[in-house]
Amino acid sequence: MATESSESEEEGKIRGGNDKLDIDDDLREMGKNAAWSVSSCKPGNGVGTLRDDNIETYWQSDGLQPHLINIQFQKKVKLQLVVLYVDFKLDESYTPSKISIRAGDGFHNLKEIKSVELVKPTGWVCLSLSGTDPRETFVNTFMLQIAILSNHLNGRDTHIRQIKVYGPRPNPIPRQPFQFTSMEFLTYSTLR
Amino acid sequence: MENLLANCVERNLSQFMFTNAIFFCERLLAEFPTEVNLQLLARCYLSNSQAYSAYYILKGSKTPQSRYLFAFSCFKLDLLGEAEAALLPGEDYVEEVPGGAAGHYLLGLVYRYAGRKNSSIEQFRMALSVDPFCWEAYRELCSLGAAEEASTVFGNVALQRLQETCVTQSKNFSEGANTDRLTDSDKASKDTGLWRTEHVPGENQQDLKIRQLGADIPPDTDRQLSTNGWDLNTPSPVISQVLDAPPPLLHKNRFRPAVEGSLMSVHGGRGIKFSEEMSAEAPEGSGRRRSARIAARKKIPMSQSFGKDSHRLQLSPSESNCVPSLSSMIEKCRIQSSKEATTSGQSISDIGSSVDDEENKNPSESSPDRSTLISGISEVLSLLKILGDGHRHLLMYNCQEALLVFQKLSLKQYNTQWVLSQVGKAYFELQDYFNADSVFTLAHQKYSYALEGMDTYSTVLYHLKEEMRLGYLAQELISVDRQSPESWCAVGNCYSLRKDHDSALKMFQRAIQLNERFTYAHTLCGHEFAALEEYEDAERCYRRALSIDTRHYNAWYGLGMTYLHQEKFEFAQHQFQLALKINPRSSVIMCYNGIALHESKRNDEALKMMEKAKLTDAKNPLPKYYKANILASLGDYHNAQKELEELKECAPQESSVHALLGKIYNQLELYDKAVLHFGIALDLNPSPSDAVKIKTYMGRLIVPNELETDENL
Repeated sequence: MATESSESEEEGKIRGGNDKLDIDDDLREMGKNAAWSVSSCKPGNGVGTLRDDNIETYWQSDGLQPHLINIQFQKKVKLQLVVLYVDFKLDESYTPSKISIRAGDGFHNLKEIKSVELVKPTGWVCLSLSGTDPRETFVNTFMLQIAILSNHLNGRDTHIRQIKVYGPRPNPIPRQPFQFTSMEFLTYSTLR
Repeated sequence: MENLLANCVERNLSQFMFTNAIFFCERLLAEFPTEVNLQLLARCYLSNSQAYSAYYILKGSKTPQSRYLFAFSCFKLDLLGEAEAALLPGEDYVEEVPGGAAGHYLLGLVYRYAGRKNSSIEQFRMALSVDPFCWEAYRELCSLGAAEEASTVFGNVALQRLQETCVTQSKNFSEGANTDRLTDSDKASKDTGLWRTEHVPGENQQDLKIRQLGADIPPDTDRQLSTNGWDLNTPSPVISQVLDAPPPLLHKNRFRPAVEGSLMSVHGGRGIKFSEEMSAEAPEGSGRRRSARIAARKKIPMSQSFGKDSHRLQLSPSESNCVPSLSSMIEKCRIQSSKEATTSGQSISDIGSSVDDEENKNPSESSPDRSTLISGISEVLSLLKILGDGHRHLLMYNCQEALLVFQKLSLKQYNTQWVLSQVGKAYFELQDYFNADSVFTLAHQKYSYALEGMDTYSTVLYHLKEEMRLGYLAQELISVDRQSPESWCAVGNCYSLRKDHDSALKMFQRAIQLNERFTYAHTLCGHEFAALEEYEDAERCYRRALSIDTRHYNAWYGLGMTYLHQEKFEFAQHQFQLALKINPRSSVIMCYNGIALHESKRNDEALKMMEKAKLTDAKNPLPKYYKANILASLGDYHNAQKELEELKECAPQESSVHALLGKIYNQLELYDKAVLHFGIALDLNPSPSDAVKIKTYMGRLIVPNELETDENL
């Protein structure tokens, strides 16, 4: 039981970021089915900029820390990955530093599932929601909340340019317990 | 001057110099504003894809020829109501649909586009009875599900009808002696009278059969030569639209079943473009066939009234290209027939009788002619019988029969693009993707320019998950023709295979833009929306596909799937039912029907459906799997286990089989076996979410084990 080491892993620091977003084929973006909201924003830099597939536009908060981004689904979904586009070179003191990800059924019972510190990120930063247990690859939840606890250089407000949320692909055949893996099964499984 | 200009226009049309033709035709019309010249101008416009111009100039014309052209222009402009009005027999002197078989066919299409199924079926049937060579009408009937057996359609009745028409043609031919430059007084009578000629409709369609693959006419057409001095050996690969029934019949060996390409098809926007030019040329230029026209891919005319332009006849050997003797002979034939027409009045039967009289007069002269004609006709008809039968079986989804029928063809005919793509489709419908792949590959290699059926080929590659080959195919098709919906469907399939559904959707939408009536593109759009989980849009696309073609069972299946995803099980079951009615041999649809039934708690029916699916296609492993799943959910673990054990033998590499077995053994409390199977399932690379599930199950299993055995933790 190496609790100390697991603690330091939890509070892992992430440096840098990727220019290109490279996601596994068996994950798909789930943000379209969610309701997105933010704790505060500056006019012209609202929540829409987080989902517009444009890294030039950014969300700018306008209030007290922690700044919150809430992602609410209509039913429980499995989520595996949260990806943020943040850039220290462009945003400097607006770049988030400490981020906490919470999940739950609603605002009343959110629980932190991941905490991470970014160190001068420059691009796409992937935050995996998996637990240490191999059985906990996904987080099954109604709601996800991304909390920006602090920024670089102690900035008050924060900029985030894009957020994407990924979960596993559903079974293309509805109402089946398992997905098919072999060619013969897959060939006969759908018509086109 | 009139004749000179007319000649010039005809020449230009035959050599595809459309703007030149339009220019000269305008001069001609200005000098001699007659109905015939107007029709010629309309033809020029239609050849140049200016349907709107043709529409405006022909508006209000009453002669049958003009009415046909006008209806055609309306059709191109999507003014279905006006097209119908133009084609329907009015209360005046016209008693029937102008254009004969082609007119019926056009009217049938108008009805079909307007959704009036029964009327369209009636019209197509009439087209076929008037001219058994109206293959496209038969295809449309097949696609509407209302085709009779090919042997009846292309049988003895057809043989007789063709005999009559062809024989009269050759009869007139042999009798056509001197050519007179018909005076203008004759023109008018000819115009209307000629429409009534019985033989006219018959012959037209044969020209259409002339391959868009540009069949060469080998010089074995000498049968006719002796008797009529007809030189059927047109120079270049020019299939003269001048040729009436007899010559094309003799060329039957060169017929490739790519007939359907010649006429309008439900699928091809290209096809429609083709036919536009075809029919445009036909009525106008039929008589003016002084120059044998190059009936190349897009130029096969549907000659409605051959004699139309006979008055413009200038039988001088100073023809530019082609066979003066041929054309002159044809013209004589026209004149003869027109004379007969005018004398015998306006009914077809009259003409028939007059012809018969002539037949009686000169039986001896024409008998050698006749017998060759008849044998030619019967050969073509037998070919059409096979093709028609095969096509009908394919569209009724009796794929095995279709394959057998197509095997009856000669090797030459079999290895043509149309037949190969039909065979490929048959294998595809049987879910035999490997064979479909090989057939389509052959077809594509041999005929890389012909795109019909290539959308199905791309779907086959999609099913086989051949990313590279699919990408390559898509690239090739786009480089051949950027304007064809099939190419864009292939590109879309390529993106879809890579799970890039947004791009795939864009590609399919492009295909739709190119041809609104390309049913499959709509269905594919629906599939992409469903993959993106936008079920309302998916439904909308599927319903659009169904509005174009109710028998497109893929769209019914798609609708069923969207309902299944949305957990509306009764609706889903209903859609699958409808799909099964159209294609009763699809084991995949039966499986889904069974799933929907099971979810609607109709478990007995569900199990029966799975059994049926098993019987229909023994190669499909899924019915057993689904059946086991249903049994397991009903608690019947032993039978479920039996099914799965059987299945395991056939498909040992399938992770889900082992996973399900593991679950069942868990329920049966055979924990060792359960662990074993879960382990195998994990080894076989399940999807990540499944891996998690299986691990969870295993974790739950180990606990009872640990309680039993005393293991160190």
